[in-house]
Amino acid sequence: MAEVILENICKTYGNNFRAIDQLNLSVEDGEFLILVGPSGCGKSTALRMIAGLEDITSGSLRIGGVDVVDMPPKDRDIAMVFQSYALYPHMTVFENIAFSMRLAGKPKAERKKRVDEIAKTLQLTSLLDSKPANLSGGQRQRVAMGRAMVREPAAFLMDEPLSNLDAKLRVQMRAEITSLQKQLGVTTIYVTHDQIEAMTMGDRVAVLKGGVLQQVDTPKRLYEAPVNAFVAGFIGSPSMNLFEATLKGGELVFRDFAIRLQDAAFVGRPALRSYEGRKIVFGIRPEDLYDSSLESGRKYQTIPAKVTSIEELGSEHIVHLNIDAVRVDSGDPDAVEDFGLASNAVARFEPASAIHSGSEIRLAVDDGKFHFFDPETHLAI
Amino acid sequence: MPRQKRSRHRLKRAVAPYLYLSPSLLIIGLLMLLPMVTVIGYSFQNSAVLRRDPSFAGLKHYQAIFNDPVFWASLWHTLYFTCMSVVFHMTIGMVFALMLNSDRINPTLRNVLRVLYILPWLFTAVIIAVIWRLLLEPNGVVNSVLMQMGIIGSKVEWFSSPETALHAVTFANIWAGYPLFMVSLLAGLQGIPKDFYEAADIDGAKAYQKLIFITIPQLMPIIISISLLDFIWTMQVFPLIWITTGGGPIYSTEVLSTYTYKLAFSSYNLSQASASAVVILLISLGLTLFYIRYQKAR
Repeated sequence: MAEVILENICKTYGNNFRAIDQLNLSVEDGEFLILVGPSGCGKSTALRMIAGLEDITSGSLRIGGVDVVDMPPKDRDIAMVFQSYALYPHMTVFENIAFSMRLAGKPKAERKKRVDEIAKTLQLTSLLDSKPANLSGGQRQRVAMGRAMVREPAAFLMDEPLSNLDAKLRVQMRAEITSLQKQLGVTTIYVTHDQIEAMTMGDRVAVLKGGVLQQVDTPKRLYEAPVNAFVAGFIGSPSMNLFEATLKGGELVFRDFAIRLQDAAFVGRPALRSYEGRKIVFGIRPEDLYDSSLESGRKYQTIPAKVTSIEELGSEHIVHLNIDAVRVDSGDPDAVEDFGLASNAVARFEPASAIHSGSEIRLAVDDGKFHFFDPETHLAI
Repeated sequence: MPRQKRSRHRLKRAVAPYLYLSPSLLIIGLLMLLPMVTVIGYSFQNSAVLRRDPSFAGLKHYQAIFNDPVFWASLWHTLYFTCMSVVFHMTIGMVFALMLNSDRINPTLRNVLRVLYILPWLFTAVIIAVIWRLLLEPNGVVNSVLMQMGIIGSKVEWFSSPETALHAVTFANIWAGYPLFMVSLLAGLQGIPKDFYEAADIDGAKAYQKLIFITIPQLMPIIISISLLDFIWTMQVFPLIWITTGGGPIYSTEVLSTYTYKLAFSSYNLSQASASAVVILLISLGLTLFYIRYQKAR
């Protein structure tokens, strides 16, 4: 077990494309760190650089205190779980798990003992003689984990290991991997583009965009205090609603309505006052918007909105709305432009809500949960 | 009538596939099955083809060829020629395919090598035979180079000496046939996921271990299929040997195909030639059945 420290890591390809720009990251011993970001943000490249599968253009990388920049993958004392699992189809589960020990020339008895232990932990004992083709997606995933565990590495690297599984299995494997990591206590760096995985699995989450680290923090901090509009939009599902507003006399003025700001909003953000009379990006999460006709929404001030469509999920309603304000793009290239139905906001209502498509409603806004960003830099205020 | 219409439609649907197949079945029947059956018939007749009413000979012609030492020599030469060809086709094809698949070689050089390596495949057997006759003649390039390098002391008559003739024709056939393996294995190599090698790198595999534990097992279906096909085809090679050595000198390059040809068209013993052809057919059939069984098992 070891800490992994990346200092000013850069990756530039032959065509001068900079995939990773000055990445600084410190993963503590036994920590579960998630690297998350949209497609092409460089998260897999960063992981492959740590594994030694990609050269590091500049910067320093230390695993367990040892500079590994010029070391081949096998000497870095890491194990990797690939998105495709990379299980050898011609080998049995036993042979796949024991492969690294076989290469290292470990005696047969030792290989068997170690593989049996791992198979027991991963509930693979009855499958040791099967070939990968005869296994389910979840079982293959576990074999891939077993192959990583057998080496007792200083760090686990996982590259979107759940992305080939169906939604239900993914939830189950998320819990399995998390508990396994806690049980083994091995430093783990886990790449995903799925922010639910990021929020539920990691001790800390590092958000990348365009090869640049945006924020590293606990999932709770990322959710509650995003450093910029991108992180605010990327973390949380559905994404945070971002609108252009003008701060005037303690009110946020939109096109046709205004929201009064409480003094508390200024207490935690002294810089907010300097935006008086200027444009600002206002953000509010879908779960902080309420149906004003329900008890939960009565205590908040309201704004006018038109319901464009409703997704009834049973436990909640995802309500697509149109409000008279200019929407701001968070900069997430993967964000789906789902505003074809003239909606520019999303809210999460209780299932008791009786609203229907096309109706004009009063939308209650939780004024204790507002987020503010600079309109130019998109940095949090 | 709806019922009549329905049964006509059913009949049409049942017959349609056979109608589509019928031209090819007819051609195969006329050009392959009929001659095959006829030759099998000839092998049991006395003076087949030559007489209008040939008598039944039983296994006489088979006994005759099995008692002929030239037949056994031909069989041995065929096996040597075929086994060596297949093994070297595979080895050379594999080495070249690995080279062409390697990203350590400059892409432009790789494209040039790809064209160069595939060249032997473009030549017909006659041209290959002529090329190698010229190269291997006593005053040819090969002797001259080997003598300059000090490997041989005097000119060797590669195709005319009983000691070297079989090796020389085998060599020419190896040169002519490796591109099939190379192209097939290259396609196979390109289909092996990169992740396998990256996972092996992390596990500490050396280059030869990646070859043994990943590349070869992944290519095994192609290796087995192409080897079996090559075995079947090489066993029947005729023009290359006929043009270079004609089976000589002193039967030293006689293979089953030239042996059969000579029986038929030099000795006009068509019955014995048919028996010899049936032996070739049985060996090829055995290999083909093995091949089909292997393909089905996959």
